[in-house]
Amino acid sequence: MALLNIENLFVHYGLKTVLHNLSFTINAGEGWVIRGESGSGKTTLGKAISGQLRSTGQLKIDFNPQSPLPAEVLFVESWYRFTNLEGDRNFYYQQRYNHYQRKDTSTVAHELEQYGKEHSLSNARLEELLTTLNYHEVLDEQLFEISSGEHKKLQLVKALWLQPQLLIIDQPYTGLDVRSRANLNTLLNQYTTAGGALLLISNDMELPECGTHFITLEAGRIVPADKALYLKEQIAKPLPTFLLSPPQYTSQDIISMHDVAVRYDEKYVLSDIHWQVKAGERWLLQGPNGSGKSTLLSLITADHPQAYANHITLFGVKRGDGESIWDIKKRIGLISPELHWYFDANATVSQSLASGFFDSNGQYQKLRYAQKQQLEELLKFLNLFDVRNELLTTLPLGKQRLALLGRTIIKNPQLLVLDEPCQGLDHQQTRYFNHLVDTISKNGVTIIYVGHFESQLPACLTHKLVLAQGKMVVNESY
Amino acid sequence: MANYFNTLPLREQLNQLGVAEFMSNDEFADGVDALKGKKIVIVGCGAQGLNQGLNLRDSGLDISYALRKEAIEQKRDSWKNATDNNFKVGTYDELIPTADLVINLTPDKQHTSVINAVMPLMKQGATLSYSHGFNIVEEGMQIRKDITVIMVAPKCPGSEVRAEYVRGFGVPTLIAVHPENDPEGKGFDQAKAYCVGTGGHRAGVLNSSFVAEVKSDLMGEQTILCGLLQTGSILSFDKMIEKGIDAGYASKLVQYGVEVVTEALKHGGVTGMMDRLSNPAKIKAYKVAEELKQIMRPLFQKHQDDIMSGTFSRVMMEDWANGDANLLKWRAETGETAFEKTPAGDVKIGDQEYFDNYTLMVAFIKAGVELAFETMVEAGIQPESAYYESLHETPLIANTIARKKLFEMNRVISDTAEYGCYLFDQACKPLLGDFMKTVDTDLVGKNYNEGKDGSVDNQELVEINEAIRNHPVEIVGRKLRKAMTAMKAIKTA
Ligand SMILES: NC(=O)c1ccc[n+]([C@@H]2O[C@H](COP(=O)([O-])OP(=O)(O)OC[C@H]3O[C@@H](n4cnc5c(N)ncnc54)[C@H](OP(=O)(O)O)[C@@H]3O)[C@@H](O)[C@H]2O)c1
Ligand SMILES: [Mg+2]
Repeated sequence: MALLNIENLFVHYGLKTVLHNLSFTINAGEGWVIRGESGSGKTTLGKAISGQLRSTGQLKIDFNPQSPLPAEVLFVESWYRFTNLEGDRNFYYQQRYNHYQRKDTSTVAHELEQYGKEHSLSNARLEELLTTLNYHEVLDEQLFEISSGEHKKLQLVKALWLQPQLLIIDQPYTGLDVRSRANLNTLLNQYTTAGGALLLISNDMELPECGTHFITLEAGRIVPADKALYLKEQIAKPLPTFLLSPPQYTSQDIISMHDVAVRYDEKYVLSDIHWQVKAGERWLLQGPNGSGKSTLLSLITADHPQAYANHITLFGVKRGDGESIWDIKKRIGLISPELHWYFDANATVSQSLASGFFDSNGQYQKLRYAQKQQLEELLKFLNLFDVRNELLTTLPLGKQRLALLGRTIIKNPQLLVLDEPCQGLDHQQTRYFNHLVDTISKNGVTIIYVGHFESQLPACLTHKLVLAQGKMVVNESY
Repeated sequence: MANYFNTLPLREQLNQLGVAEFMSNDEFADGVDALKGKKIVIVGCGAQGLNQGLNLRDSGLDISYALRKEAIEQKRDSWKNATDNNFKVGTYDELIPTADLVINLTPDKQHTSVINAVMPLMKQGATLSYSHGFNIVEEGMQIRKDITVIMVAPKCPGSEVRAEYVRGFGVPTLIAVHPENDPEGKGFDQAKAYCVGTGGHRAGVLNSSFVAEVKSDLMGEQTILCGLLQTGSILSFDKMIEKGIDAGYASKLVQYGVEVVTEALKHGGVTGMMDRLSNPAKIKAYKVAEELKQIMRPLFQKHQDDIMSGTFSRVMMEDWANGDANLLKWRAETGETAFEKTPAGDVKIGDQEYFDNYTLMVAFIKAGVELAFETMVEAGIQPESAYYESLHETPLIANTIARKKLFEMNRVISDTAEYGCYLFDQACKPLLGDFMKTVDTDLVGKNYNEGKDGSVDNQELVEINEAIRNHPVEIVGRKLRKAMTAMKAIKTA
């Protein structure tokens, strides 16, 4: 008997039909992959199956009473949202760099302990998962201190620990480094072998062997894979004119770090960092999850208090010489998974882009005439003009990311800090974005780009820095 | 030491009480220049101390922390907060003599002893700053005549001061110069620069005075902010239990209701809050609020009188001297109320349901905000100050109630607020005894609109809408809120 049987399934949001007449059947032990461009209905389908959204038509789940796996459906969201101990979510992305004695969120270990208790799960199995995903090191950290890849792993550990009969994972690979991906695929194969039915929502290419069935969605309908829109080329438009002019450099030394270290209590997250970045260089920054990449970048974007205790020169000015963080930020365009996570939930698309002029999270100041022109040009260029008045958070993830990318370039800064900018974007959008980066780079902007996969990088990169456990292991021309 | 305010002739009392000028953006055009390159030493590294210091340093200023010896030797949290964030930390002897500006961010109760220890070490012509004027105004602390005394008082908890700054915004702030201590006339420029350094200039700044800040702060916190929210919450809960409403539901409605209701207040003032009600409910809430105002006005006036005469702080300081005997006793009593002991039920209450089923709280808040505002203004405080100390801060306190109910709210607010809150609550409950007998579940616990046909008298509605909109707290509020454009929504549990 099929575990999941869907026939003529529809989902409506108000008057809008977002899923049209879907039919398919999934059996225990099968691995399925749902593909489709951003906004095509992938997440909606996952939520409908897990009962989080109302649907019409047939959606039948027949659990197997003989199976050793619990008779449950679990939907793992693409984003993990945690609250502080008081149930609040008023975080800001820089928060994990400030050091407070008061603990605001619970630790990873505590979170897992609670989860295990709630679902009566065995600790032996947890050990296995922690080892396979290389996750022991973060157990004592607080939830807001860990990186986006580590958050993703926490979700995965929980899901694979529970091992429900039907498991749906939205964007399983977001933020995972190369090795973690391979390890995850091993675990997913084990899961289907044990009789689990797996549904991955992902456009990724490096899928587990068990992923043998595919559904491709386009505008809420199932289409044959080769016809899917997400495979079609995007038409290249000319760049907005303001992005053609070279940035005004005040110094040829963009970044200079000498023997830089960052530590929390006795634990070093960065050490022995000696790094020079000159104007116009375009760096690739790599390293496994938790190797210190984001911390290194936070020293550059003036978000880390420990910058004051180190020898760091930014744009020719030594940190702690009386400059304000806003003097530094105005030269930088930044995007990172954390910035996106904690971005102002009340901002419209237009306000989100415009806030890039002020380096604020949300727009608090009025635009001048020239800024308004630039904003409009950029919105049109990114195909966001029609949704400019919608709340950013109501767009599909890929589009949100695109809007925040727009925020980084809107002031045509000297330095672009692109920390996993394509996380959450599908292949097509990634190529499109990287093409955009290549095009912009011709104006001489300096770039630091964090990306895990060689196949998903812009072509313009000239140098490479690789971190491992907080130390530099590669520092070379690319 | 004599209460500073009471030493002033009436003319000067009125003069200082009446200072409140909303500052325009261009007054901050010099940024942090007046403090650039100066040595700034913060005493105390708690909620305000750490977060203000982080902001000031990120604005390009030179910050270090002077802590008491015990804190350094025992590596207390204050020492860790400062050192972990790479600030220089030292004893008073090491740091105070080098300071151009000393910022006192220790608890108000400790100010006399802290200032007595710090002042002799301060160099000639240095500046001393506070974030609350209690020590200067109520305790009458005398500062050496060569020292400039200023105040920069953010009207939000320390964590917000930091969070808003890094978002690129700030929190509303009062600044002031103590007229007895401005020998070189530099106080105002320094206060403005300090305010810019914390980001306050982006969210609206009032040029105030020590006296106006203290007398309005005390009044606001003990009446509408803490006192009335506590009394209203407890009476509402007890009424629902009396009428057989499920205890879990009642507990949740009361715990989260204040937050949801005041969220509307934050965005659109009393008008915005009242507009969340249906027309019949609005008319009812209006009438109930009028009745409440009549009953409670003498109590609000008594609190304002005791604050002005210094009676309140004298009595409270007697309790300080007595090891906080009263405070601790009353705190324990708050922990024993039925509301406190009933956990919020596992029921979903929608945003609108909090208004429809808790119309009584809307009336309480309208009455309390308007009464506090009216009473302060009658006493000579300017509408701008009165607004910040009543309407503006109500959602912030409501937020702490939603997190952990009343006992915790009282624990996290200042000592002065907590003490005043209990005094108010004890007097207010009996005062409302007869009124509460008239209250039924349509006002609290059930949907007010249920079983009513929704019709209203047009003329009456027009008049009530106008009365709500044209109350002076609304007029000044519209102006000040415009300056504070961006506001985050608080999530509903
Ligand atoms: N909290 C608010 O929302 C708020 C808002 C506006 C203004 N304010 C004002 O800001 C000031 C500070 O308040 P806060 O809430 O930040 O206080 P807090 O969090 O309680 O911090 C007080 C700091 O002072 C130190 N301290 C305590 N007793 C001391 C003593 N006898 N001698 C020297 N240091 C002492 C403490 O460190 P150790 O005990 O480790 O020495 C701690 O670091 C007050 O004037 C308050 O009215 C507060
Ligand atoms: Mg106050």
